[in-house]
Amino acid sequence: MSLRSVNLPGVGTKYEFTTDRGDTVALFFTKTGTIQMYTLQRGCHTPSAAEMTPVEARRLGNILTGAIIEAESESVEVAFSALADLRITIHTYVIPRDIAGKTIEDLKIRTKTGVTIIAVSRKEGNIINPPPSFVFENGDGVVVIGETDQLKKFERDVMVH
Amino acid sequence: MEGIVLALFVCLLLALVTKRYSLPPIPFYILGGILIGRSGLSLVTSDEISRFLSQMGLIFLLFFMGLELKIDKIAQNPSTVITSGIIELTVDMGIGFVAAYLLGFSLQDSLVIASAFYVTSTALAVTSLIENRKLMMREAETIIWLMVFDDVILIIILACLSIGDQNILFLFLKIAGALAVMYALAHYGKEFMVGILDRSDELPLLFTFGAVLTTASFSMYLGIPETMMVIALGIALGTTDPDAFEQHARPFRDVFLVVFFVFFGITVDLSGQMDFFVIGIICLLAILSKMLSGFLIGLFVHGSVLSGIEIGGSIIGRGEFSIAIAALYASPPVAAVIAAMVVVTSIVGSFTAKYTGRLRHWMSSPGRRGPHRRVHQ
Repeated sequence: MSLRSVNLPGVGTKYEFTTDRGDTVALFFTKTGTIQMYTLQRGCHTPSAAEMTPVEARRLGNILTGAIIEAESESVEVAFSALADLRITIHTYVIPRDIAGKTIEDLKIRTKTGVTIIAVSRKEGNIINPPPSFVFENGDGVVVIGETDQLKKFERDVMVH
Repeated sequence: MEGIVLALFVCLLLALVTKRYSLPPIPFYILGGILIGRSGLSLVTSDEISRFLSQMGLIFLLFFMGLELKIDKIAQNPSTVITSGIIELTVDMGIGFVAAYLLGFSLQDSLVIASAFYVTSTALAVTSLIENRKLMMREAETIIWLMVFDDVILIIILACLSIGDQNILFLFLKIAGALAVMYALAHYGKEFMVGILDRSDELPLLFTFGAVLTTASFSMYLGIPETMMVIALGIALGTTDPDAFEQHARPFRDVFLVVFFVFFGITVDLSGQMDFFVIGIICLLAILSKMLSGFLIGLFVHGSVLSGIEIGGSIIGRGEFSIAIAALYASPPVAAVIAAMVVVTSIVGSFTAKYTGRLRHWMSSPGRRGPHRRVHQ
């Protein structure tokens, strides 16, 4: 994949890349403030286009970078989009074997990293707002909220224990 | 004063309608002006204040053009830009000049008509590329660079038309001196300016407005064309923080430019010996000539007839710069011709830009349908 970026006078900035399979994606941050995304399938000649507001584009970016977006959490996600200027990120992780059996308190998650675990997804059901005494199990999906830097710290300091 | 209020009210209504139906606003401002002005209902006449506001519009239009103009960028892919630019310049300037001269205009008038005939509206072309979602097409980049080339030629045109009967050497020295001062200020005052532009109070707006107005009035005082000087100021300030200057100059440009267009319409004189035959021929040629130059550019640059149709259809609209040339240098009958040309080409151009895609699809589909069907099944 090779990424090209061009500054087009009067229009804005263009980012374009071709995937390894030969499809092309082009993004234009126009001076009018909207973002246009074009996709061109390999062998096709007419691209299809979508025009987005900055909020919509950020939401798309969140989906692509792996933030949780589910139909039922739509309302959470709206609030999240509006707060994106504060650079608050929601991220999902899967609990690895070596921290299974420990509690949130044991791991000192809040004091060490600043992030908050807001939900845990488990086969038996979801746990919203787990208490500090909550014990992780192997394979739990956790939803973590915090700033990007805090999340990085969380990945570095807690997830690899 | 009531006149300006009425004119602005008409513009507000027109802006609402044109935005609602994504039509180009410029021709409607001019038509609105004609309707309420001396050739229409005679409700509004231009006065000292409206002339001043119109001039602000023109100056901010040109300042903005200078800000966005990055001449060094042309050097990045020079061959395509220059090939397409020269095709457009020779074809459109040539057809415009010959047609105007054969239709009985004087040499000077023919030159003014040819210039207005040649300059495509950057605003219309770029807006239609964005609104019709054509940015990804390879022709889009050609069109965008063509607009930059147009801007450069426009500066040369303005310079040529404004020389008049002055002593060229003396004028040249004065311009060179003013440019040197401007660039020195932009270079050495950069940090000071960036500091001012970063503030969130009224200072950035005041500074931008002041800089443009000072430049304009100083050049008038020195007897050098203020149009060129504000473009040069834009280019010079574009080396500091162009985005901030654009942001702070935009409110002035948007408001004053609308006043400029509507008062241009108000002062257009259609009552004289208007020859509708002449106007008709010029308008028709204005459309055909851009189709031809676009076609040739498509053929030479992209090697494709379809690209040519696409480019031709996208560059028909004349607009702000043609009106600027008319307001600065045209005699009343010539101004009327240019006004008509801008109205006709910008409306026709917005439709051709919308439908070239469809035309192109229709023209190219028989050849591509076969293999496609196989892929899908």
